Amino acid sequence: MVKITKEEVLKIARMSYIDIHEDEIEPMVKQLQDVLSYAQRVKEVAHDVAVPSNRRMNVFREDVVIKTNPEPIRSRAPQREGNYFVVPAIIEK
Amino acid sequence: MAGENFMKKLAFASISDLRNMLEQGEITPEQLAGYYIDRFAKYDKELNCAIEVFDKESVLTSFCPQGPLKGVPGIVKDNIAQIERGLSCASKILEGFSSTYDATAVSRLKQAGALSIGRANMDEFAMGSSTETSAFGIAKNPWDISRVPGGSSGGSAIAVAAGLVPWALGTDTGGSVRQPAAFCGVVGMKPTYGLVSRYGLVAYGSSLDQIGVFTRNVYDNALVLSAMAGHDMKDSTSLSVEKKDYTQKLDGSLKENLKIGVIENALHAEGMDPEIVNAIEEALKVWERQGAKISRITLPTLDHSAAAYFIISRAEAASNLARYDGVCYGLRREESTLDKMYSETRHDGFGAEVKTRIMVGNYVLSAGHAGDFYNNAKVVQRMIRYEFMQAFKDVDLLVMPTHPAPAFKIGAFAQNKLQMDLQDYFTCSVNLAGIPGISIPCGFSKDKLPIGMQLLGPHLAEGLIYQTAHAYQEQTDWHTRHPEGFDS
Repeated sequence: MVKITKEEVLKIARMSYIDIHEDEIEPMVKQLQDVLSYAQRVKEVAHDVAVPSNRRMNVFREDVVIKTNPEPIRSRAPQREGNYFVVPAIIEK
Repeated sequence: MAGENFMKKLAFASISDLRNMLEQGEITPEQLAGYYIDRFAKYDKELNCAIEVFDKESVLTSFCPQGPLKGVPGIVKDNIAQIERGLSCASKILEGFSSTYDATAVSRLKQAGALSIGRANMDEFAMGSSTETSAFGIAKNPWDISRVPGGSSGGSAIAVAAGLVPWALGTDTGGSVRQPAAFCGVVGMKPTYGLVSRYGLVAYGSSLDQIGVFTRNVYDNALVLSAMAGHDMKDSTSLSVEKKDYTQKLDGSLKENLKIGVIENALHAEGMDPEIVNAIEEALKVWERQGAKISRITLPTLDHSAAAYFIISRAEAASNLARYDGVCYGLRREESTLDKMYSETRHDGFGAEVKTRIMVGNYVLSAGHAGDFYNNAKVVQRMIRYEFMQAFKDVDLLVMPTHPAPAFKIGAFAQNKLQMDLQDYFTCSVNLAGIPGISIPCGFSKDKLPIGMQLLGPHLAEGLIYQTAHAYQEQTDWHTRHPEGFDS
């Protein structure tokens, strides 16, 4: 039986890079608990019958250089310097 | 272009009729685009189906005056890229973002002469079944504005149902074209996975996502799909199939000795609205009279499709939505460190439903849980796919409900999201199997709400699905009915 705890929610939130406020924890515990309790039935249902697996193939194409202008894409950046995207310091002072 | 009757005729005219009017010179493409743009101005304050309606001049600058859809306006769900237009996925995290290119589906429609006049409202990142999670507000069902239009492509379905455009693009990951089509009484096609290029479609569950078409009748739907289907070098999952004219066999007849199977465990699932069961039984009689053989079949693993779908779609969503980090585009919260910037941006930018799905996705993929959840879900997916393939050895097409009940009230599932999501199980199995499916109107409830049913086929059977659905519409008039109050 899946049992979601507050600690687990905090851990997954960190993994997901989503800040979670104190008042958001309880509802999130409940949401995860509901969905996962239901979804865990796949474990009982899944049995490896002789089901052929999906056909997998690699899709290749010629490696041709297509000239594009990166400027419109760069111009969407919240902060930039020339060709660089600017982000806050990685390590706290 | 004048006269009240002419205008009335225009609102709910089919694409074929519009093409004739344009060809005869009864109306110009400019007038037609202006006419629909004005209808949005008139009706969309209440319905909220468009995130943006473009100005006429800018719409006409990209007009390609040739092709089968020459001068026919439509609207595009706002998770499909349109060049130099906003692209929000109805999320705050894409605030201020605009696309630098057209999705392949959009560019092909433009090459076929079609005009896109706006961006349709949707559930945030296509996550929902009601268009209630949009950052741009709830969209409303034109048949009863206290009810949801379905989702996630709710805006597209409303626009077509209320006669604001004759076609709309949506996307379908677990039923997001077919379910709103059923709720709004229009035709919604989800093609075979890989038939329509996903280039320029913002990813939710990449192995399930497919662009689909809304129209008011089956013939129009086939016209629009014909213009955009086929291989695209820019999408490595696009199938190597040539362009095809899906309208070719739409003459009102059925394929000879057509065999239709009804999925009994879906039709008589717990919680099915008896009105929907009756409507589908009546529809089967129509096909029977036209010469089809009807049989009853059971697909046991179908009952577990929602569980497998929850896991696979959330897992893929968690990976796909990792890219919204405030670095290259979209919303950014200014914070002292990079980690804090990521976490605050994503906290403020994503709505509650999106955050929950990312969390579920990262849980089912994490060490210690992936074995129980993700790996088993993939096995169940294979079993479902296999059952469909086995069924298609005995029958040509399958029928099942699109949804267990007609459109629900806004807010009905606010306290129980799981219950709402579970109702996807008639539709999400189709995405898991990668097969095509259409939802077409097949009746009305006593509350005067539309009822839809699904017609499914094996991979790349779009032609046969359209032929069979069109033959049904030649014998019935459900698709010709429109919600009241949108006539003038």
